[in-house]
Amino acid sequence: MQPLANVTPLKPAARAGSIAVRNVGQIFRTSTQDVEALSDVSLEVKPGRFVVLVGPSGCGKSTLLMMMAGLRQQTSCTVLINDAPIPQPDPDRVGVVFQEPSLFPWLTAEENVEFPLALRGVAKSERRGKAEDALKLVGLEGFGKRHPHELSGGMKQRVSIARGMVQDPPVLLMDEPFAALDEQTRMTMGDELLRIWAATGKTVVFVTHSLTEAVYLADEVVVMSARPGRIVDHLTISLPRPRTYEMLSGETFGTLRDRIWRHIKKSA
Amino acid sequence: MKHSMSATTLRRLIVICLIALWEMLPRAGLIPELFLPSLSSTIAAGWNDAGEYGHALAVTLYEIAISMVFACGGGILAGAVVGSLPRPRVLIMPMISSIYAVPLVILYPVFTVWLGIGSESKIAFAAIYGFLPTMLSTAAGIQTIDPQLVLAARSMGATLSQRLTRVIIPAAIPTVLSGLRVGGALVIVGVVVSEMLISSAGIGYLISRYRTILDSAHVFAGVLLVLAMAIAFNAAIKWIERKASIWQTGSRAGQRAADDITAGAIQPAT
Repeated sequence: MQPLANVTPLKPAARAGSIAVRNVGQIFRTSTQDVEALSDVSLEVKPGRFVVLVGPSGCGKSTLLMMMAGLRQQTSCTVLINDAPIPQPDPDRVGVVFQEPSLFPWLTAEENVEFPLALRGVAKSERRGKAEDALKLVGLEGFGKRHPHELSGGMKQRVSIARGMVQDPPVLLMDEPFAALDEQTRMTMGDELLRIWAATGKTVVFVTHSLTEAVYLADEVVVMSARPGRIVDHLTISLPRPRTYEMLSGETFGTLRDRIWRHIKKSA
Repeated sequence: MKHSMSATTLRRLIVICLIALWEMLPRAGLIPELFLPSLSSTIAAGWNDAGEYGHALAVTLYEIAISMVFACGGGILAGAVVGSLPRPRVLIMPMISSIYAVPLVILYPVFTVWLGIGSESKIAFAAIYGFLPTMLSTAAGIQTIDPQLVLAARSMGATLSQRLTRVIIPAAIPTVLSGLRVGGALVIVGVVVSEMLISSAGIGYLISRYRTILDSAHVFAGVLLVLAMAIAFNAAIKWIERKASIWQTGSRAGQRAADDITAGAIQPAT
């Protein structure tokens, strides 16, 4: 992990970034039947917290995340970001990082990072400056001129994170961002993410399948059950920060992970 | 790297050998001049009637240019529509695909009845001939665009038109270009073949006319011109591919990055 002193934060985020999910339900209609994907989910996330959603496959955690991103219409009730509804994507409030880096292969790394700014007609020079800051934040200074195919998997995901943060939104949503990476890269990226999070003070909601990753990264772990998805547990992870590799084998870590695992085994 | 270099050298050697054989075999009398006139007499025949060939070339190029605009422009447009909307895709694609299997040249006599034996019938025929593959590959290209890219653009607040111009069109470029390559080549074939069948001008017409009077040197001079056009077209497409889509060369550049990393030139950040 790099020392924090080397990091230039993006402009300090306004202390916004609260998320409120109130009685959210989601029903998928198929030709034969209605599938209840989410049932009466309520969740409060305070600004600056690192919250991880875990649960068995198909528990609707990604669906919930897409709702917070404004990428999916809610069947019932409300998701509030900064106390305001989010009927469509709003990159000023919410940045999204997907499992696939989803970089545009015809653009360079810095053009990819600039993309959300270019969409709203921000001037070229301003764009370039912000993209450089964001790339520096994710540890990719000097790689801006490369195309995605010239970057490793982990580097691509860093570019994707930089793109999600370039407009400095108070909330960063991450949908299994490290799932496609190898174990080693995944560990490094976890530490990197914690460093960036500490430097920027953003609210992070992070979906993962890995219980170790969940406990290692989170302030709070939200455990969801399988269909219909509902919240079955909400744990506070009291491990001190910065988190270290040694904690993984500690007793507290094991207890927390076991508790989450029991929930998931029950509902799977 | 060494391996591909030697392959290129080998290819060039083969071409040079073929050219040398073309010159030597007829000269040595191993092949009758009627079957294959030597390269030098072919070029001489073309040179002596440079005016006639120049005029024919102008006609043919004109027909190719116009058909190209219709075939490629129309093909890309229609392919984009058919590829991005599910209903026309289901309705039209199977039809187009089966039409594509029919040898369209059987329709050419009908075109001459409708449009006369001038350039119009050639343009119409070649345009339709090149239109189908361009349209099919554009439609396929639009369909294979990673929906994740479009979702990512949406999450960044891209409007529908921004998603089209900034994501879907650039993402479709490689497939569209490969469609242009096939479509454009078919346009050239369509024009030359239709000129050979029924016409009064153009390279195909010259080839066909000299064939009837058994003037092999003049026939092959025409063939040489068609060959030159095809090579020039291919080079042009390659140039456009290089210009328009750096990112197509993914594997090669990826390899370069991997080499850099193993050589320790870059510290991969992961």
